[in-house]
Amino acid sequence: MKNRKKRLLALGLTAVLAMGSLAGCKGGEEETAALNEDGTVDTSEHVDLKMYLIGERTPDFDEVYDKVNEVLEEKLNCSLSVDFLSWGEHGQKYSLLFSGGEDFDLIFTATSWAHYEQTVAMNGFKPLSEDFIKTYAPDIWEVVPEEAWDQAKIGGEIYMVPGYNHEYTQDVMAIRGDLLEKYGYEDIKSMDDFKDFALKAAADGIYATQGGFYYQYFWNQGMTNTSGTPFNGELILYNTQDPEDLNFYSILDWDGFEDYCKMAKEMADAGCWSRDTLNSSDDRQTGLLTGRCASMVWNLATCKTYAKQANAEHPEWNVKLCDVNAGQPRIIKPYINGGVAINASSKNAERAMMVLNAMYTDPELYDLTYLGIEGKHWEAVGDDQYTVIDESGYGVDSNCNWGWRNMDLTRTEYIEDRTELDDDYDALLEEWNNNIKADHIYDSFTFDSSKVTTQVAAVEANIATYYNPLINGLVDDVDATIDAFRESLKQAGFEQILEELNRQAEEFVQSKQ
Amino acid sequence: MKANVRRKEGVRGFFKKVYKYRVFLLMLLPAVIYTLIFSYYPMSGIVLAFKKYNYADGIWGSPWNGFENFKFFFTSGQAGMVTRNTVLYNVVFIFVNMIMQIAVAVFLTEIRNKHYRKTAQSLMFLPYFISWVVVGVIVFNIFSSDYGFINNVLQSLGFEKIPFYTTPKMWPVILVLFNLWKNIGYGSVMYLAAIMGIDTSIYEAAAIDGANVFQRIFKVTIPMIRPTTIILLLLSVGGIFKGNFDMFYNLTGNNGLLYNYTDVIDTLTFRALIGSNDFGMASAIGLYQSVLCFITILIVNKLVGKYDKDYTLF
Repeated sequence: MKNRKKRLLALGLTAVLAMGSLAGCKGGEEETAALNEDGTVDTSEHVDLKMYLIGERTPDFDEVYDKVNEVLEEKLNCSLSVDFLSWGEHGQKYSLLFSGGEDFDLIFTATSWAHYEQTVAMNGFKPLSEDFIKTYAPDIWEVVPEEAWDQAKIGGEIYMVPGYNHEYTQDVMAIRGDLLEKYGYEDIKSMDDFKDFALKAAADGIYATQGGFYYQYFWNQGMTNTSGTPFNGELILYNTQDPEDLNFYSILDWDGFEDYCKMAKEMADAGCWSRDTLNSSDDRQTGLLTGRCASMVWNLATCKTYAKQANAEHPEWNVKLCDVNAGQPRIIKPYINGGVAINASSKNAERAMMVLNAMYTDPELYDLTYLGIEGKHWEAVGDDQYTVIDESGYGVDSNCNWGWRNMDLTRTEYIEDRTELDDDYDALLEEWNNNIKADHIYDSFTFDSSKVTTQVAAVEANIATYYNPLINGLVDDVDATIDAFRESLKQAGFEQILEELNRQAEEFVQSKQ
Repeated sequence: MKANVRRKEGVRGFFKKVYKYRVFLLMLLPAVIYTLIFSYYPMSGIVLAFKKYNYADGIWGSPWNGFENFKFFFTSGQAGMVTRNTVLYNVVFIFVNMIMQIAVAVFLTEIRNKHYRKTAQSLMFLPYFISWVVVGVIVFNIFSSDYGFINNVLQSLGFEKIPFYTTPKMWPVILVLFNLWKNIGYGSVMYLAAIMGIDTSIYEAAAIDGANVFQRIFKVTIPMIRPTTIILLLLSVGGIFKGNFDMFYNLTGNNGLLYNYTDVIDTLTFRALIGSNDFGMASAIGLYQSVLCFITILIVNKLVGKYDKDYTLF
């Protein structure tokens, strides 16, 4: 009896191994250089390229990209087809494109939120040498500043073409004007003001906001995330407002974290936000638009959009834009917050790079992907402005064209009947443009976590258990929970991550001197 | 396959047997191929658990990594807790579901009104087709403290609200109830089928002997469906270290306050690796679960075998 079973097992295992080795065979493709004798790039052979973007396909997307293709066919003798990974599924499917051996050339990527570091760590992207960029994308090389290339470097190699665009890191708030007036505020310009306002709103039975606001708090303290470190870099901060300060402030010992958690608990207990906030799947604007919350937090442009919507539906609300970090020098988002990478196994990397070069720097293509079809979706006003004709089919700046944003070519909107919000928006933007913070050397540093993957996974396993309840002020005993959190982080190997981070940072600083 | 190697009569005898049973073997073939392709072939992916996977080298070319992939799970400090939660929940699910499903199946057969029986059966079956995502939304709208059904009722009656989403102790009950609600119809159909297969002459004999309803149920029905019960039990024990990710994730989400009572191996792994997409580590945890499940089923099968050989799976 036993013998028989053993034999069966052996048979089964042999079969398994045989099939396994069959699947193991995989051919490799050799790269082909495509330069003419005179140094120009040879595009005589027609190629079909494929690009992946993140988001949803808008109704007129195909029509717009037909026009894009007309230009590409003529200029570069190639066509470009685009597939989308939807917002809901890109978290899972992005990596499957690479592990599944999908045949594609270009893909949108971004630091932390769109899988840049993770994919680089698993050799998914083609490293882009300086020569390669200069040869196949000379115009991009002209436009993109050196700092941006530095940010894109991981372990000394560039894996993406970063966008060239200034976005401000610090979010603002859209706050109900009627409530501000009721509690005696004209504007809210500091954290303390906001806290007072929130407590008054809570006492009135209206939620001030949808949840904790740790980001606003650490920006207020001059800190920002260290890119590439665990959990979007929220656990290890550096003082970006002070270029002299080369320390990292980790959640293990930064006092600001404790102070914040205590404040969050005080506010949560007072009812400044819902007890269900950890389970809520509401979008950031839902609270404000439905009247459940007195405010919303997002970037300036988005806040303006929803403030307008709220005011259109409820004119009596008089929603205003407020900046709790008013007066503080602005942090510019890393350029790698949106970019395009080339698939490591792309067969037409050269042509793909040329296409990217065209989309990035050709005004006609740039307007097409940014605004849609002229005369149908938008109309030009002068050389650098536009008015919207119809936003429903394509939408301005909303088709994942964020990988080739180019400030030099981006048109601004011309608004005919201006509201108070538009004036506030322009005033804030003007103020910010004149108050950009000094460079900090870590602004262009990205941590390479490939040597501490085990520790990172163990740390991330603990985030939702302790960190999320803490920053939303929902724990019973703040000190005890912080202690437990720090203890579990140490056990998970957080100190080794810090050690590795300090080593890499030191190396980086030295290489810059 | 068993028929192939039944007797040691040399190669000749083997081929004779193959020829003799050719029709049966041919009929068996699709099932064997199916199992090989969909159950055995993917098993070779186990190597991933011991590799530092990268896209460029693929599954087979990536460098070996020893037991490094398992490490994060144990250094996270939560391995013991989530393993305990997973097993305890599954044990409770298995027994509560089994008892209630049998009860429902017995009640349904005892009901004489055919229309009522069919309607009740269909209604109980329906929740099985509702996705856990939808159930998650339903649960949130029942239990949330702002707009939840229960808290609205409590509030309008003048009672204190119950903050379900910050009270972990409530969740084992909620989870067990919703799991039962979703699976009771589906499971009871299996028992119903077993009960339908019981020879009616046994019931007639029992009736002649003067058995009442309870005696009929406990002396005839329950003992007669014992083989089905044990097989179903063994099958579910095979997954005892696997948490139902859909359920736990959709009902409790990323709410860390509840984790002491709701975190299972699968949700922990998901959280730890969703950021890094590390296939190696994910496979390692899958292997950890499978090995524990395998050991459990061997032990339980052995125990069942001690009780009665006919009831074992293998």
